Amino acid sequence: MGGVEIGRARRGRHRTLTRLVASLAVAAMVVVACAPTDDPEDTLPDPEVEETEEPEDEEAAEGPTTDIADDATFQMAVGVDFDTFDPAGTTTTTIGNMLTYMVETLTRIDEDGEVLPGLATDWSVTEDGLTYTIELQQDVVFHDGTPFNAEAVVFNLERVQDPDVEVPIRAAFEPIDTVTAIDEHTVEVALERPFPPFIAALSFEGGAIISPDSVDAEGNSYTEYTRPVGTGPYTYGEYSAGERFTVQRFDDYWGELPYYSDVEFQIVPEAATRVSLLRAGQIDMIILPPISDLPALEEDPAVEVLLAPGNRTIFMAFNNNTVEDPRVRQALNYAIDRESIIERVLFDAADPVDAPMDESLFGHCSVGEWPYDPDRARELLAEAGAEDLELRFIAPTGRYVQDAEVAQAVSGFLEEVGVSVDFETMDWPTYVGRITAPAEEQEQDLHLLGWAPSYMDSFQHMVIFQSDQQPPNGLATAFYSNPEVDQILADAAVEIDEGARADLYCGASEIIWDEAPWIFMYSQRFPIAYSADVTNVSFRPNESFYAVYARPAS
Amino acid sequence: MLTYIARRLAVSVVTLLGVTVIAFGLVQMLPGDPARTIAGLLASDEDVERIRTRMGLDEPVLVQYGQFVSRLVTGDLGESARTRRPVTTEIGARLPKTIELAAAGTIIGSVLGIFAGVVAARFRNRFLDHSVSMGSLIGISMPVYWLGLLLIMLFAVNLGWLPAAGADRRTSIILPAFTIGLFTMALVARMTRSSMLEVLEQDFVRTAFSKGVADRNVVYRHALRNAFIPVLTVIGIQFGSLLGGAVLTEFVFAWPGIGRLLVDSIFARDFPVVQGIIIVFALMFIVVNLVVDILYSYVNPKIQY
Repeated sequence: MGGVEIGRARRGRHRTLTRLVASLAVAAMVVVACAPTDDPEDTLPDPEVEETEEPEDEEAAEGPTTDIADDATFQMAVGVDFDTFDPAGTTTTTIGNMLTYMVETLTRIDEDGEVLPGLATDWSVTEDGLTYTIELQQDVVFHDGTPFNAEAVVFNLERVQDPDVEVPIRAAFEPIDTVTAIDEHTVEVALERPFPPFIAALSFEGGAIISPDSVDAEGNSYTEYTRPVGTGPYTYGEYSAGERFTVQRFDDYWGELPYYSDVEFQIVPEAATRVSLLRAGQIDMIILPPISDLPALEEDPAVEVLLAPGNRTIFMAFNNNTVEDPRVRQALNYAIDRESIIERVLFDAADPVDAPMDESLFGHCSVGEWPYDPDRARELLAEAGAEDLELRFIAPTGRYVQDAEVAQAVSGFLEEVGVSVDFETMDWPTYVGRITAPAEEQEQDLHLLGWAPSYMDSFQHMVIFQSDQQPPNGLATAFYSNPEVDQILADAAVEIDEGARADLYCGASEIIWDEAPWIFMYSQRFPIAYSADVTNVSFRPNESFYAVYARPAS
Repeated sequence: MLTYIARRLAVSVVTLLGVTVIAFGLVQMLPGDPARTIAGLLASDEDVERIRTRMGLDEPVLVQYGQFVSRLVTGDLGESARTRRPVTTEIGARLPKTIELAAAGTIIGSVLGIFAGVVAARFRNRFLDHSVSMGSLIGISMPVYWLGLLLIMLFAVNLGWLPAAGADRRTSIILPAFTIGLFTMALVARMTRSSMLEVLEQDFVRTAFSKGVADRNVVYRHALRNAFIPVLTVIGIQFGSLLGGAVLTEFVFAWPGIGRLLVDSIFARDFPVVQGIIIVFALMFIVVNLVVDILYSYVNPKIQY
C-alpha cells in the first residue's frame, strides 16, 4: 500500500515538473511571438484548430460571474463505438462512462471509490437489512422538462428488473423485491434478502435514471432505448455510427454547470492514431494510448498523462482441479517477477496487488505479498514432486492492456523455474468459450483474466472464489473450492454491519492469498492523456475518465 | 448487349445463393458462444438464454438458414444482435463512406498508376523506368497500416496540414485515400507498363511513329487504348475489393466504413451483420465485374457481347 502511495506522489511531482517546463516553454514562445505585436492574446500559440473562440473564453473565465463558455467544444477520442444507448444495457465501461454525461445514478463514487450521494441525498436501512429508505434530490428536472421524483425512481428500478428489457448486469438489482414511492422525494426499496452492497450497487450506471416519459419519445421504446433523456449536465446531441457522438450542455442542470457548451466523443479505434490526434493538437483528450507510447507522452510538454488507478485486477487463474497441490501454486507465485513485468511490459501502468482484490474495493485489506524468489519456487516444486510440471496456459489478445504480452512474460518466468509451458493466445469470444467450459471439458491449467466489479464492493469480486459459481453456473473459472471460504463469503453476503462485513472479506482474502488459487498479479491502470491546454481532467477508479468539469488551463 | 446483361444477372442470382451458404456457414464455424459474447461475462444465464432466443440461435441450423434466406429475398437482412438496429441501417450508414474512400483511392491510384506505367514503358530500362519499378515495389510491399501511421505523423502531427483521423472534414479523405491509392497505383503501374511494352512493339505503333504522328498521340491515343484492357481488369478487381472495406486503413484513420463494421461484428459475434456485409460485398463485386465487362467493349469496340 505504502509503496503504491509513494509511487503516486512521485508521479504527481513529475507532472508538476512537466507542467513547469511546459509553462516555461509556452512563456518563451509568447515572448518571442510577442515582439512584433502588442497583444499577447492574439499570438498565443494555439494548437486547438477547432477552438478559435478560445481567447474569448479565457476572458470569460477571468470574469467574476459566469464561468462557462457559450460556444466551446471539448473533444475526446475513445476506442469503442456505442453498442447501446440504454444505460440498463451497458456492458462496456467506456460506453457507460459516456452515457453518464447524460444520465445520473442515485449514488456515485469519488476518486477513491467511496460511495457518495448522487440523485439520492440520503439513505437508511432497517436492522434486518431488508428495507432501504432513500431520500431524493429536489428541484431536479429531466432534459425533457419533466420533474425527477420518486415515481421516476420506481419506474427505473422496476424497469431494470423487467425480463423484457435486456439488462446484462442485472445482478446488481436482482435482490430488489418492491420499490414504492413514499412521497414526492422519498422511495422505499424492499429487498428479497439482505444485500449489503445495495447502496454501492446503485452507483453502477446500469441503474442510471432515465425520464419515464422518454421511453415513448421519438426513437425510443420501453425495450429499445436509443436516445437517453436523463438529468445529467449534457443532453443527447448527434450520433454518427462509427464516427462520433456529441452532447450539449443542459442549462437547467441542477448541479454545477460544466465549462464546455459541447462535448464531442470521436470514435478512433486505433490507439496510435488517438495519440497522433492529441499530438497534432486536433483533440483535447484521449483514453488508452498505446502503452508503449507512455514514456514519450510523459516527456511531451504539450501533453499531460494521467495513469488513473483502476479496480481491474489481472490474474492468472489455475485450474485448481488439475493443479491441485497448493505448494505448486505457491511456488509459481514465487516464480514471477511482477515488478519487472510492470515496469517493462506495462510501462508502469499497473500496481502490484496485495490481496485478491484491488485496494479501491470495500472489503479490501492488505494481506501480504509474493516476492520474486525463483529458488524458493524450485524448492517448493521439488517438495511437491512437480519438477516436471507441464502447464497448458491460455491468454486472450487485446482484451486487457498488454494481456498477451504479460502472459508471454509470465510463461518465460515459469519456464525459468523448470515448468514446461504450452502457451496459446486467442480472440476473446473463443477464449470465453474455453474458460467457461464445464470442469470435465477444461483444456487448460492456467489462464489470464481481468476482473473489475461493476460497483466498488468486494461482494461482486469474491463470487469468483465461491465453489457454487464454478462453470457452467458462474465464472469461478479457477475451480477453487474451500468450504471455509464458501462459508465466510456466504456470511459476508448478508452481513449488515459494515465493519464486520469488511472483516469477513479480509479473513477470506487471507486464506485465499495463502492457498493461491491464482497467480496474483496487479491492478491495471487506466491511462488518460490530454492536452496541457486543458485542466481538471480526472478519473474514477473503475476505469473511467471524469472530464465533465474539464476547462482550459489558464 | 442487353441479353448479355440479362444472362449475367441470372448467373449472379446463382452466385449469390452460393454466397448465402458460405456467409451462413462461415459464421457458424466461428468458435465461442455468440449469445454469451453479446451479453458479457457478468450476465446471468437467464439473460444469455433470452438473447439466444432473440437471435434465433436456439433453432436448428437449417431452420435458421431457411429463415435467413426467406428474409433475404424480401431485402431484410435481419437485426444486429449487438445494437438491435436493422442490419440494412447499419450497413447503409457505413456503405457511402466506404464507396467514397474506395472511389477516391481507385481514382488516385489509377490516374497516377497509368501515368507512371506509360512513362516507364516509354523510357524502358532507363532511369525513369527503374524509378517507377522501385516505387511500385515499395507501394506493393509497404503495409498500409504502417504507411497510414507514417502519413499521419508527417502530414498531421509534424506539418499540421491535414486531419489525423475522422471523416467530418473535406480534407479528411486525403490521407486515407492516398494510403489505399498507393497500392492500387503500384499494381496499375506495373500492369500498364507490361501491357504497354507489348503494344509498343506492334506493327501499327511503328507505322504510326514512322508516318509522323506526334509521339504523345501515338502513345496515349493508339497504344494506351490497346493496352488498356488488362489495366481496366486490374482496376476493376482492385475497386471491387476496396468496396469490401479497406479494414486496416479504416482502422488507422478512424474512417467509419464497412470494413471496420465487419471486423467489430466478427469480434462481437454479431452474426446477422457479418452475414449481411458478406452478401452486400458479393453483390457489389458482381456489379463491378459486370460494369468492367461492359467497359471492355467501350474501350475496344472489337469486343462485343
